[in-house]
Amino acid sequence: MLIEGPCDMNDRLDELALPHELPVALFSYRQDAAGTQRATWSPFCDYSPEWVALRAARDVGATAIFVDLPSWDPAFDGEENRYSDRHARASDRLAELCARLGFEDTDAVWDHLFEQPEDEASRQPRLSRYFEALRGDEPGGSRDGPREDFMCRYVKWAMAEAGDRDVVLVCGGYHKPAIERAWASVQDGRPEPTPTEPGTRVGSYLVPFSFRRLDSFSGYASGMPSPGFYQALWDQGHDRAPEAMLFAAIRHLRAQKLRVSPADAIAASTLAHGLRALRGHDVLTRIDVLDGLAGALVKDALESPLPWTRRGTLSPRTEPLLAAIVAAFSGSKIGKLAPGTPRPPLVDDAFAELERARIPVTREKQRFVAVLTTPAGILSSSVLHRLRVLGIPGFVQTRAPSLARGKTELSEEWSVQHLLETDPALIEAAVYGATLEGAAAARLEERSRDATDVGVVADALVDAALCGIHALTARGLADIARLVATEPSFGSLGSALAKLLALRRGDLVLGERGRTELGAVIAACFDRGLWLFEGIQGPSAPLDEALVSAVRALRDVLRVGRPALDVDEERARAVCERRTHDPETPPALRGAALGLLWSRRDASVDAEPSDDDASRTVAVLRAVARPETFGDVLAGLFALAREQVIRAPVLLAMVDATVTGFLPQDFLVALPGLRQAFSYFPPRERLSIAEAVLALGHDGAPGVLHDPRTLLDARVDVDAVQRGAAIERAALALATRFGLCDALDGGDP
Amino acid sequence: MAEKRKTEGAGRAPQGETPQRPPAEVVYAAELDALRKDDEGPRPPGWKLSPMAVRAFILGDPARKIRKKFVGNPSLVDRAMVALATNRGLMLVGEPGTAKSLLSELLSAAICGRSTLTIQGSAGTTDDQIKYSWNYALLLAEGPTQRALVPAPLHTGMRDGAIVRFEEITRCPLEIQDSLLAALSDRVLAIPEMEGEAAMLFAREGFNVIATANTRDLGVNEMSTALKRRFNFETVFPIPDFSVEMELVREETKRLLERSGVPHVPGPDVLELLVTTFRELRAGQTVDGQAMDRLSVPMSTAEAVSVAYAVGVRSHFLQQAEASPADLVECLIGAAIKTDAEDVARLRRYFEQRVSKGQGPHWRAYYEARHRLPGLARSPWRSTSSVSATTAPRVRGSSIRRSGAWRRASC
Repeated sequence: MLIEGPCDMNDRLDELALPHELPVALFSYRQDAAGTQRATWSPFCDYSPEWVALRAARDVGATAIFVDLPSWDPAFDGEENRYSDRHARASDRLAELCARLGFEDTDAVWDHLFEQPEDEASRQPRLSRYFEALRGDEPGGSRDGPREDFMCRYVKWAMAEAGDRDVVLVCGGYHKPAIERAWASVQDGRPEPTPTEPGTRVGSYLVPFSFRRLDSFSGYASGMPSPGFYQALWDQGHDRAPEAMLFAAIRHLRAQKLRVSPADAIAASTLAHGLRALRGHDVLTRIDVLDGLAGALVKDALESPLPWTRRGTLSPRTEPLLAAIVAAFSGSKIGKLAPGTPRPPLVDDAFAELERARIPVTREKQRFVAVLTTPAGILSSSVLHRLRVLGIPGFVQTRAPSLARGKTELSEEWSVQHLLETDPALIEAAVYGATLEGAAAARLEERSRDATDVGVVADALVDAALCGIHALTARGLADIARLVATEPSFGSLGSALAKLLALRRGDLVLGERGRTELGAVIAACFDRGLWLFEGIQGPSAPLDEALVSAVRALRDVLRVGRPALDVDEERARAVCERRTHDPETPPALRGAALGLLWSRRDASVDAEPSDDDASRTVAVLRAVARPETFGDVLAGLFALAREQVIRAPVLLAMVDATVTGFLPQDFLVALPGLRQAFSYFPPRERLSIAEAVLALGHDGAPGVLHDPRTLLDARVDVDAVQRGAAIERAALALATRFGLCDALDGGDP
Repeated sequence: MAEKRKTEGAGRAPQGETPQRPPAEVVYAAELDALRKDDEGPRPPGWKLSPMAVRAFILGDPARKIRKKFVGNPSLVDRAMVALATNRGLMLVGEPGTAKSLLSELLSAAICGRSTLTIQGSAGTTDDQIKYSWNYALLLAEGPTQRALVPAPLHTGMRDGAIVRFEEITRCPLEIQDSLLAALSDRVLAIPEMEGEAAMLFAREGFNVIATANTRDLGVNEMSTALKRRFNFETVFPIPDFSVEMELVREETKRLLERSGVPHVPGPDVLELLVTTFRELRAGQTVDGQAMDRLSVPMSTAEAVSVAYAVGVRSHFLQQAEASPADLVECLIGAAIKTDAEDVARLRRYFEQRVSKGQGPHWRAYYEARHRLPGLARSPWRSTSSVSATTAPRVRGSSIRRSGAWRRASC
């Protein structure tokens, strides 16, 4: 019995024969000398043809042999699931067939053609014809070519060995025509896989798997939709399973507090059977049941097409009802390994790493301090963070490093203990990888894949840096890029961007650990940020610090600039220019846009700030100086261009003149905003601003104010000021009444 | 009264001169005949064709030389037919311009050979226009007799076992919508004025209702749950496939332009820009997955065709040159900006940030023509003192006033 499966497992087929609870998967990994990791899963469930073949071979006493290349072979590079049908699905012929039979999805076509009760004698020739037509004369290419060649050689060898006994090959239908054509003409002898290069670690081991991971709707590169449905079909047969799944889905919906009345249930069943008859099926197929449920239960316009009309993950706009139906069809079964299955290497690797990092692990709780200024400390911190990321009990960080003034402490404190739960958790975590580093990386990737906002991704990347993980896979990066592209909030994008920038700089705590492929992620955030920035409306919106910080983060990206980051400064300027002049822009963002232009202008001309720039800024400011928004505009401006403001007396003079020009009640309106705006300056700068304001020469100001410090820290009772102002007003009124106003200093109090 | 006459009269076969737009059963009479002749599939009671033949009629069958008339999910047509055969009403919902009415017309023409029993929903739709009313002269002379009764589409449909189409049902007041309840659940129409057996009109086999509603209008949320329960909802989506939509726009534009005596269809570059723009603004997502704002107006394929048509006419008669991306920008304004002033900002943002990144010279030209959009951006480092955007009077409200402001601004 020759089975499409990794041939390196042939010595260990007994492990597969243990009484596991399916689904389980064979996890294969390769780590080359440079540390690059790659993992491939070969999942098995009750109805997997390979699993059935293994069992049948045992039952009849046949010799079962896996005849495919090992998963670490380059033919599987980039392939996460050995049994995915990616190549077959890409075929144009299949798309044609779909269109002709009137189905949107290839899985529906398969069910339509082959998942109907029928005797094998008539099914087999049709299957052969189907795969002949699907494969045609398509060559195997770099992926399937070597695998098919390898399997052919196994077939030839087995035919020679078997003598007059039968040889059965169980393989994907797509490979069948090619192997049939070629096997007789390949070279003789049992094939051996190409040995791996020195320094490369490879291995395969069994891990528990879950239906959720098997389901193509949940986003793993798996081969099939709705495994729960097919499990029911396998267990209960064609006659009972579809109906049972229909009602299981309805029960699931009711458990989710979605209302499904008995009449709805009847309608769903009627509709499903109607579709079955219309499509010429003898028994209900998966699509009939799903369509029946959707047709009868959906009572609103949908935002996104029915999930089962295409392959892939659910769209974020999927109706909750449909998402619940898909989940019910996915099933919640989680596999379990039989006792005595060899422990995955992750368990040993984790303890080996702990030992290498000189972290004592005992049954007693211990305190461990990792000093981050030494290479050894960084190593132990990385190891502990990897365990933390994987959620292994017994390893808890009790103190983070601190950069606070006065109590800077560049070390971490951990509580370390070998708990009873530690080992089982490591076995479970083995599904992520064989080594501690690889598993942590895979876990972090999963976290960013499941994330719903950019903040989670940024945290995952920070964690990656803490774990000392240097490489994310292309798919991980693509997931992040997709998430960034749909992030709706400018504020949270900004805070994520700021985190990533800090990470890129490699700050003190992270050291050189923080070098991942951040450039692409930052560029994507920047791109998205510009788009979101342009869309924010609200001419009277109050100051939102998060948004202003987001603009600052955009500016900081520009400061790094090309060639390190692929960002377009021209575009950023154009956006800011439009925002500066858009009356719908919130005032603080208007100021921020102005500030960005001003601060970047310095950089572009590479010179001292010119008065010219300042006066342009002043001109724009003057145009938007209204009491209720002036403070917010300034706050935005100061947040982005603090240094430029300090060095531009003309701007200060303008602000001073504007504020002086406000009527008393307008001034009161403007005051809170102005206070907030000037809080962007540290005390020393505030002092120099105070000096500059005094230097502008306000005639008639009381002499005591000539010390600028008193402007900032007036030790006067509020009541006294109020009384003074009242007396002043009364005096002025009196003077005006007697025509003496000119004799005073000629103007307002 | 005139309204009722019209509805009833439309049921008759058109006589004499060709009407401007004949109903589907007339246009495709030959195809329907051919299908009927060799239709051997089982037919639900009251149906003129088997569901297999209806599907072939709507989705096309190259082997029998039947044209594809509806470009959309084939499984949608399956579900729609089964809903109609299982005596639940069919509710087609979706954005305007997604061919809901076309699908409803094709379904009725194929299933009962008649697509003209149509109720057009509006704020002014009354019970009379749905069920029946009276010829008052006869009513006075003879009392409530069959002769005096003027049937409206629902009455006719129940009497003859035909499909009744209710267009834009959500535009009707709720109590008017609910007058369908008894007809849909008990399949009976009470005529209390009559006596004896005539007081109840029991629907014949084959009667059913196809309603359409568009998601941009009042929506289906306001519909009563009782009525919702009696309908199967099917959402009709815009064409999912780029090349299919592109081909459809090209074909339809060609047909319209030929009728106007314009020999050339806008080139593939311009059509690519047009269809891409429409698809992206409609989906609220760029081709590469960037989320963005949708416009408040529906960017339907039908609208894309009319823009392409306008581009063709404009370039042929006004410019006497091949259609350019600049023509497209000009024509796009009318389609994309209707009532909502914010759409101007959305469209500008789309041009500034998305179109600017497009690859190829036609995208470049398209981007460069953006100044034709209303309210173009000025450089901030220029002329900021006197007529700045803030000091200029805030223009809000009518789009006419607003467009006046644009003209001033761009002068």
